[in-house]
Amino acid sequence: MQNFLVKIAFFLYRSKGYNQTKKFFYDYLENNEKATKHYIDLFFIFLILFSVFDLVHSVKNETPYWIVFVDYYIITTIFIIEYILRLWVHGSTHHIIIREHEKSKFLQTNFSSKDTIKNILLEKWQYIKSPIALIDLIAIIPIYREIRIIRIFKLTRYIRSVKQFFDVLKSKYFELMTLAILLLFVIGVAGVSMYTLEGNINSKINSLLDAFYWALITATTVGYGDISPVSNMGKIISMITAVVGLIIIAFGTSLMVSAFFEKLGEIKDNRIIDEIKKIDNFVIICGYGQMTKMLLREDDFDGKYIIIEKNPDVAKQGAKDGYNIIMDDASKHNVLEKFKNSYSKISLICLVNNDIENIYITLNAKSISKDIMVVARASNASMEKKFKIAGADNVIVPNIAANTMLLTAINNPIMYSAMHSLLSGKNAAYLDEIKVLGYDNIVGKKIADIDFKEYKLLLIGLKRNDDFIFNPNREMVLESDDTLLVMGLKISIEYFHRVIQGSLS
Amino acid sequence: MSLKKKVWIFGYSKESKMIASSLKDVNFDINIVESNDKNSNDALLDGFKTMVLMDITNDDELEPLGIEPNDYIICVMDDEHLNVFLTLSLRSMCPENEIISISHSIYTTQKLKMAGASKVIDLYQVSANRIHSIFKKPIATKILDSFISSSYDISFGEFTIAKGSCLDGIILENFDFSQYNIILVGVLDWELGDEFIFSTTNISHKLDADDIIVCIGNNNDLEKFEKKLKMSSK
Repeated sequence: MQNFLVKIAFFLYRSKGYNQTKKFFYDYLENNEKATKHYIDLFFIFLILFSVFDLVHSVKNETPYWIVFVDYYIITTIFIIEYILRLWVHGSTHHIIIREHEKSKFLQTNFSSKDTIKNILLEKWQYIKSPIALIDLIAIIPIYREIRIIRIFKLTRYIRSVKQFFDVLKSKYFELMTLAILLLFVIGVAGVSMYTLEGNINSKINSLLDAFYWALITATTVGYGDISPVSNMGKIISMITAVVGLIIIAFGTSLMVSAFFEKLGEIKDNRIIDEIKKIDNFVIICGYGQMTKMLLREDDFDGKYIIIEKNPDVAKQGAKDGYNIIMDDASKHNVLEKFKNSYSKISLICLVNNDIENIYITLNAKSISKDIMVVARASNASMEKKFKIAGADNVIVPNIAANTMLLTAINNPIMYSAMHSLLSGKNAAYLDEIKVLGYDNIVGKKIADIDFKEYKLLLIGLKRNDDFIFNPNREMVLESDDTLLVMGLKISIEYFHRVIQGSLS
Repeated sequence: MSLKKKVWIFGYSKESKMIASSLKDVNFDINIVESNDKNSNDALLDGFKTMVLMDITNDDELEPLGIEPNDYIICVMDDEHLNVFLTLSLRSMCPENEIISISHSIYTTQKLKMAGASKVIDLYQVSANRIHSIFKKPIATKILDSFISSSYDISFGEFTIAKGSCLDGIILENFDFSQYNIILVGVLDWELGDEFIFSTTNISHKLDADDIIVCIGNNNDLEKFEKKLKMSSK
């Protein structure tokens, strides 16, 4: 038995298919970073709404049999499978077995399958007892039809606001708990007093439950009026209960409002972060100043950017100006780490007006992942070296860049205007890169066979595997992943691009 | 008389220090104009010819400097208002000169242009442009960088067509530059005005003496081509 367990665990550990399948289901059920999970979510939302609609409709109407069939058998089956899959992807059973096995080997004790199974069950129990899993479980129990209305609570998994609401409440757990106990005490005292005072003379109060019900309705200022005091003493108790209840409710409300107010900024920021993380290639810009504004005016990265600004006033101004901006300190590890996910290509631009902070942010980004491309602004040439040591991929020194432009303008005015046009594309010439992709129709063609002149383009060079080939030989055959460096009018380049993609002929 | 080109730099602060020293390296005759005592002292200590003006906004003080029409003027005053005003005064005084102003903000750039600067170099725009290029056109940026810093074998070459050379009177389209392994980027044809025309516009040009053509190529190939041009004109 023990050997069998360990063998299976190792088999699963090594099995590529098993791990891939599990990862697949995990991604689509639980991994919010997965962009395509969205579709599965929508599918489940549809199922839930369908089921609830059926239930509501059938209260006063005859529902067609096929709807009942779909709801009762198909949707329930899907939910059962969903529940099992979620239970499966939660935690890792074979890891527990292997861990226990290795522990016993190390301590030279006997491998206890009883303990191991207990640990496995414990891990699964953690999932089963979570509120959302309980809702899932109740939603698939077929015993009592009306209980299926609980399915509507399954929606909470997909509605972020609900989760955020509970998070906010959690942050005020202690205060709210105190108030709740106080409220319970007041209702208890009022209910018991009412029962003893009027239990025999008030025809509406037949049990202790009636008395508690009356106390709660009075204390929360709802006051249905179905049960009301008949004696003088009862009226006095009602008045005291109502006033004390009002105070408690007012406290509770203000507590929740202030908790929301405190968390509002964070909730907003987290939403922006969640949205940007779904994009497979995005840019983080640190600091909101003139340079950031200028950069975004030049190129807004198709909206795939996010600005992190430390100063709350500046961040507010940025949001007013219409940019995606969050208020936070990019030099903190946990701030940048929030953006990390397994598949996005992240670039970071440090434009804070302070070298020390920029270097720190560069190091911070590189410590989170070496793959984050960092472009940093440095105040002078001696700083440039330090940025390189910190790991920045590109360093911009505004003064040097301007100086170079100025020197070119004086020394080489024709080249200055040529370069100006080449980069900005304001005149006839624009220098641009065209990436050749596998399905483009120029793959496998000789350069001589492509009439660049007809497209009014000039082929300057070609980049293949990190090598730049200037003025490539006309007999060269184009391959996928080559990058062509061409010059021409912007519209010519766009036209050529469309032609090679096959959307035009 | 010195053959060096004369450059007037107005303002001697952190940025202009760098500009001045790099211009000195490429052999310009540099004249610094400053109104601040400390800055002008710095300029003197760094070995530049320095004039001290009490009031840079006063035309009576600017005129005696003796700026000639061929001189370059660079305005790098720390105070932006002063820089705009200075650009304007210098333009009204020297309508012919090349005035290059450095700007520190988006809003000033526009004002400097209106004040008559021939070229405005906006510190932020230049940097923003660079970042944009690094992201969108990494290869092109590297190539253009290497043109300027000449760190790479490939560079720009400007050739003035001499009278009687092998290109004089030739229709550009009919000339095969690929035999020299260079690429024609464009031409400055005085018949069509003094604007630079890129070869991709596909307008047919007849080259005359004094036109300037711009090519890119390996330094060796460019040199060979230049020699060939010179040989043919003799």
